[in-house]
Amino acid sequence: MTLEELAFRLNDYTDEEGTTFDAIVTERGILEVVCSNNDEFPIHMTRTETQILSVTPLFNVAEVAPGKVDELNAAFLQLSPAVPLSAIGLQGDTYILFGAMALSTRFEVIAHELEVQAENAIDVLEAVEHLLA
Amino acid sequence: MGVLRDMLTALKGGASEIGEAIVDANAIRILEQEIRDAESAIASAKQSLTRMKSTEIKLKRELNTLNADIADYERKAVSALDAGKEALATEVAGRIAELEGERDEKSAERAALDAEVGKIHQMIKARERTIQKNKRDLDKVRTVQELQRATESVSKNFAATGSSAHRVSKALERVKTKQSNWQDRMEAGEWLEGQEAGDDLDAKLRAEGIGAGGGGGASDVLARLKARQGS
Repeated sequence: MTLEELAFRLNDYTDEEGTTFDAIVTERGILEVVCSNNDEFPIHMTRTETQILSVTPLFNVAEVAPGKVDELNAAFLQLSPAVPLSAIGLQGDTYILFGAMALSTRFEVIAHELEVQAENAIDVLEAVEHLLA
Repeated sequence: MGVLRDMLTALKGGASEIGEAIVDANAIRILEQEIRDAESAIASAKQSLTRMKSTEIKLKRELNTLNADIADYERKAVSALDAGKEALATEVAGRIAELEGERDEKSAERAALDAEVGKIHQMIKARERTIQKNKRDLDKVRTVQELQRATESVSKNFAATGSSAHRVSKALERVKTKQSNWQDRMEAGEWLEGQEAGDDLDAKLRAEGIGAGGGGGASDVLARLKARQGS
């Protein structure tokens, strides 16, 4: 399934929990998805030869409260096992939540993973909110 | 070569922007070249295996013939002995020894061939491992490159809105407000459904003459009064 096809199907889909999706493919070929259960932190999707990647950029290092970066990093390492399907990472200066799926993943499963990732983003941010500026 | 170690070195060095090599371009070329080399080595090894297979089939056929001949001459030697023809039997025994020598030679040749085939299979497996390992390494590099691409546009937005303090807290607040509004709507919907279901139930009970309550009508009142008069 191409990212365009995925966007087309997501825009027309409501999952079992009532979540809907707004999906567009950007000029740079990134699929940007806003899930109705978290429309503040969109998910950016792309693909390699073997997998589909979904990334939720969380915040910039500059947004961490002064002197709290180490504590934040430790908190993220501790939280990571609690969200096994969404890994937490640092991409350049941006903290991200991301997941990977096989190219053969069924559409319904992809939609479900996106919904879970959108939810995980809120949970993770709530957990570390006190460490942000 | 550990591609992750290279990647970490490059990332530490600040190669986090799109277009910057997170792994030395040479390293990628080497990985790709190794995959191509291994693939062509496997292709030629498979050709060798095909040739060896035909040699093996030929040797097997020759060994079967030799074994059959030996068995045949052994029977004939025994017959000669039975007939008391010692000299003939000796001559046949000489032939058998000759055939056995030839058979041992062919057996040794076959054992060497088997060993060679085994080695080639090992080599193919090793090359396959190289290919798979390199492909996984390349995939790691591409994954990080794609993650960079997917993160980049938003990072720029963060930078643009970076001046706004408590951006994350405000966004979380908005999400929570929306969620709680949604929850309220859900609860209101459920309440309404419950009411409607309750109305339905009361209507059903009335239809069956159950639980009609105090407003039972004149006949009920009269019956009650009569009962009191009688007591």
